[in-house]
Amino acid sequence: MKPKVWLKSPKGNVLLILPAFLGIASAASRDWGGAKNALIAVGSAVAFDVGCCLIERRKRIFPDGAFITGLIVSLILSVTSPWYVVAATAAVSILSKHLLAYRKKPLFNPAAFGLLLSVPIFHAQQSWWGAFGDLPGWFLPVVLIGGFWVTNRIQKFPQVFSFAVVYLLALFVLDAGVLPLHAESLRTGGFYDALRPPFINAALFFAMLMLTDPPTSPAKTTDQIVFGAIAGAAGAVIYGLFGGLIYLYIGLLAGNFYQVLRFKFSKRPAKPARPESEIRSYRRLS
Amino acid sequence: MAKMQKKWIVLCSAAIGVIYASEYYASNAQAYLPQPGTGLQAPGSLSSNGPASGDSSLPTGNPLSGNSALTNEDGESSNDSASALPSASATASSPSPSSANKRYNDGTYTGTGSNRRGYIQVAVTVKLDKITDVEISDFAMHYSESDVVNLPDEVLQKQSSQVDNVSGATYSTRAFEDAVADALSQARIN
Repeated sequence: MKPKVWLKSPKGNVLLILPAFLGIASAASRDWGGAKNALIAVGSAVAFDVGCCLIERRKRIFPDGAFITGLIVSLILSVTSPWYVVAATAAVSILSKHLLAYRKKPLFNPAAFGLLLSVPIFHAQQSWWGAFGDLPGWFLPVVLIGGFWVTNRIQKFPQVFSFAVVYLLALFVLDAGVLPLHAESLRTGGFYDALRPPFINAALFFAMLMLTDPPTSPAKTTDQIVFGAIAGAAGAVIYGLFGGLIYLYIGLLAGNFYQVLRFKFSKRPAKPARPESEIRSYRRLS
Repeated sequence: MAKMQKKWIVLCSAAIGVIYASEYYASNAQAYLPQPGTGLQAPGSLSSNGPASGDSSLPTGNPLSGNSALTNEDGESSNDSASALPSASATASSPSPSSANKRYNDGTYTGTGSNRRGYIQVAVTVKLDKITDVEISDFAMHYSESDVVNLPDEVLQKQSSQVDNVSGATYSTRAFEDAVADALSQARIN
């Protein structure tokens, strides 16, 4: 793929936006620790991705997806995270992409999976600094502009809107006590927090730059709406029940799980990952 | 995959904006609902992002500033004293008469440290100008309490609100430092 064409691709767009966020957040906070973390995360992600591709004997080894995963991990983990936590989180993310796959496609969003596991395994603290979570509220439009650009490029507006509506309404319903759920976290300040930085920054960044990941999210409009709604509802319920910072990932993984079930029970015959002739030639060679 | 028309994008964005604005307005009344005995901060004084500026170090003799580098919701600094928060509740058991060298009243003092990621409330016991006990009485950060579980011991050891930053747990550490500084600022003899 020519560089010009690649830059216009969804991955190319995301790879323009994420470093821009990194630069703005670092410059505004005058803390370049996040940039150092980004180098570590991207290095670790690329190394593991290339390694896995070599083991799988993949023809095309171009770790642009690993670049994105590494950048997302570094933009979310706290800038004070130790280097080994950053590297390990990026590594877990990439391993999940290769190990938890169905028809050569990752089952779960790699960055979300790695970041979710980083909390219980590495006790990682996540600040969403790359979504301007530590900066004044007027940085929020920057997230919106970047997010809208990417969402428009990959045509995932139905999914983003569905997530946003269900997430906001579910928070309200849980806070109001309409459902018989003991959403204690919301009543002790959680509802207030969810609508303000850094939580609203996190939700926007997540909805427009993570939820929309093409390999792990559906393409059809109806599926997008269901996927977004599941992610929004699951995220809000987890936040309401337990608080914390991992609720968005759990929401996304719930959406991914729906996607897996949809694949599994779809009537279409399974499409082979590679043409049979190609597989046969590989076997002969090995 | 059909591309969503621009008018629908604008319409949906506006609708979500209205829902968000309504909930934002409605949630103003619910900012950190005060709980009996805990005394949390009032709406509008939510965040204190900075580290505890008052190095409340007892043995070194540094005077307590009592200012915990409070910041407002937009991250801007203000000079409000932490002890001025309505949260501050002191339960001095028997304030002893202040002598020339004595800088703190004896007793147990409650302080709160908060930032955008929640708050921590501590109960600090001071006896004869010495911190004799520190207890995390309320932990409401969006992080795990295990991050800061060793910090009370560190305060006792150092006799200071300034503790070593727990790697990767900066926000919880800062909130804890602010809470201890807040409690000590109440104990200070004016």
